[in-house]
Amino acid sequence: MSLRDDFQPKWKLLLKWGWLSFAVFILMAPTFYTVYISFNELGFGAKYYNFTFQWYENVFSDKQLIGALGWTMLLAIITLPIVIPFGLLSAKLYKQSTHKVWIVFILLSPLFVPADILASALLVFFKNLNKFFTLIGEYTGIYSLDTWFDLGIMTAVIGLIVYTLPYVFVVIMITMARYRNEQTEAARDLGASAWRAFWEIEFPQIRAGVFSACAFVVILTFNEYTRTSLLKGGFDTFTSVLISQMLNTGMSEESYAMASIVSLVAVVIVSAILIITAIKTEELEKKTRTIKEPNK
Amino acid sequence: MKKNNAIELKNLIKTYGDVYALNDVDLNISDGEYFVLLGPSGGGKTTLLRSIGGFIRPDSGSIVIKGKNVNNLPPDKRPTSMVFQGFALFPHMDVVQNIGYGLKLQSIEKNIIDEKVNKMMDLVGLTGLHNRKPHELSGGQQQRVQLARALILENDVLLLDEPLSALDAQLRKDMCIELKRLQKTVGISFVHVTHNQEEAMSVADRIAIIADGKMIEEGTPQEIYNKPKKQFTAEFLGEKNILIGKVHNLNKSKIILDINNDKIEIANNNYNVSKNQGVSVSIKSESIQIKKNVKPKTNEKNSIFGKVTEITFLGQFVRYLVLLSNDQEIQVRSSEEVANVKLNDQVILNWKLDDFILHNE
Ligand SMILES: Nc1ncnc2c1ncn2[C@@H]1O[C@H](COP(=O)(O)OP(=O)(O)O)[C@@H](O)[C@H]1O
Ligand SMILES: [Mg+2]
Repeated sequence: MSLRDDFQPKWKLLLKWGWLSFAVFILMAPTFYTVYISFNELGFGAKYYNFTFQWYENVFSDKQLIGALGWTMLLAIITLPIVIPFGLLSAKLYKQSTHKVWIVFILLSPLFVPADILASALLVFFKNLNKFFTLIGEYTGIYSLDTWFDLGIMTAVIGLIVYTLPYVFVVIMITMARYRNEQTEAARDLGASAWRAFWEIEFPQIRAGVFSACAFVVILTFNEYTRTSLLKGGFDTFTSVLISQMLNTGMSEESYAMASIVSLVAVVIVSAILIITAIKTEELEKKTRTIKEPNK
Repeated sequence: MKKNNAIELKNLIKTYGDVYALNDVDLNISDGEYFVLLGPSGGGKTTLLRSIGGFIRPDSGSIVIKGKNVNNLPPDKRPTSMVFQGFALFPHMDVVQNIGYGLKLQSIEKNIIDEKVNKMMDLVGLTGLHNRKPHELSGGQQQRVQLARALILENDVLLLDEPLSALDAQLRKDMCIELKRLQKTVGISFVHVTHNQEEAMSVADRIAIIADGKMIEEGTPQEIYNKPKKQFTAEFLGEKNILIGKVHNLNKSKIILDINNDKIEIANNNYNVSKNQGVSVSIKSESIQIKKNVKPKTNEKNSIFGKVTEITFLGQFVRYLVLLSNDQEIQVRSSEEVANVKLNDQVILNWKLDDFILHNE
């Protein structure tokens, strides 16, 4: 704790925490309200409140929704093992490079393009690739490539990679920044191959960042509407089903239950990441502090 | 007996942009020798050491270790081990795991590793600290772990890059003694980089002075300290009394120098100079006698006149600053105050012929 904190009057500290809680409450109030409604048998705007789990039961017996949940999980699971190594490589490149600004700019650029534009751009791109491969098929008689870029899981995954890579990169880059490269050199010097040095020395120290990045990818995949619905085709991923249901039938009580589940899962994951990262950071800082000031 | 070379460096060049970090360096380091690379910061010491270790690939030149050219080998394939300045211990491993890591990589049996680790820990003075994590160790202990971790592999050469610079002065002195003892015990070549001359003098069998990417000179600590061949070395080692002039006349035993029209005489220790050549000379401030100049006598060759501009009492000795007629300043150290020499007095300075050292450049 810094000197300033030590000499701060109690009420100031309370005020700070009060303000923080208030801000969080305001931000999250609509979510809390959704949760509140989702347990009312009579639904939104009703005069009375009859507590029930009925809407949740409905949700879990809704085949379409559960199917969508499955699809989305699958997308997340396929995206993860591709985007995480990409992120690791990018972060490594960033650390070694002398042109850091450019790397950040290039890797974060997908974030600056609005979702629907990026998605439609990819859509057009895939359509053209399709034409191209069909053409190749006609000339060469090799038709196996024809369907590669039909809308489906592969195209959706590509869209998700483009979308999640910036987040993965940033999260991993931040944890990696604390890592001292001398350790890798020491490991190499002791006889480790580049790969073993990474896996046994560096990775254990950036694990927290990699896991946070994974959680980010899962959450982003679940939250994503535009890119997946355009690029996967079929409008059968989780958020697209949810939104189309809402658009067709208005907000039903099931929708509230659904929304509550998603929010809850997201909040739990994010809090877990924050807490774990905070603890890890504290530990790491302690270590680097003692290593930096070794004159005892 | 002539020893074999552990390391032979030829024509090493490494550039960063238009900076020559290494500018045509030649160097031989013998088997079992404690060799120190000494020089100012930015001189290229780290670059040289890291080239030997395989962390930097020189632009050109050759590196031969134990008779084998290692130019194209990565660090894990070279018979060298490195001790880093700091931050290089694995923070998620304890002392035993850190020290044993290199052996573990060779898939050696665990009980053999443990045995060797224990021996190493005793050797470097870490007994009893087995399960500490690096952040639970003091700076000196951390460097001992690094030493143990490197030495356990029994490579031919140990490279140390400013290994003591993060330690405080007292601990650094103690560690110097231990490093030297350790090197004699294990008997391999140590190549130790430092910018600290005391550290260099106290551990080295041989020292090379390196600056601006070039080898300035090399020799034993005594040679480097007492008879530096180059003006740069004298300056770097803190020599204040450097006079610049040219050779006035010389014979086999003596050289007469012209220092701004003052003639001084020095012994000719086989210096390779000729008449009218520009040279510099230096003399240690404790080698000069100072006395009050009563009657000017201009025919004395190994003496020079000046005026006292400052007298400082420094505990074990007194320091006089003397301004010569040519505006150069000379420092004189005397173990006690010289009777009747006062501020602004005209004085005469004397020395033994041997005490002046001539530098070629
Ligand atoms: N990675 C690098 N990029 C650019 N210049 C470098 C790099 N490493 C070293 N240099 C330059 O090379 C010269 C020698 O550096 P170094 O070997 O670290 O010197 P020393 O260890 O003697 O202090 C310095 O001028 C330094 O600025
Ligand atoms: Mg250095």
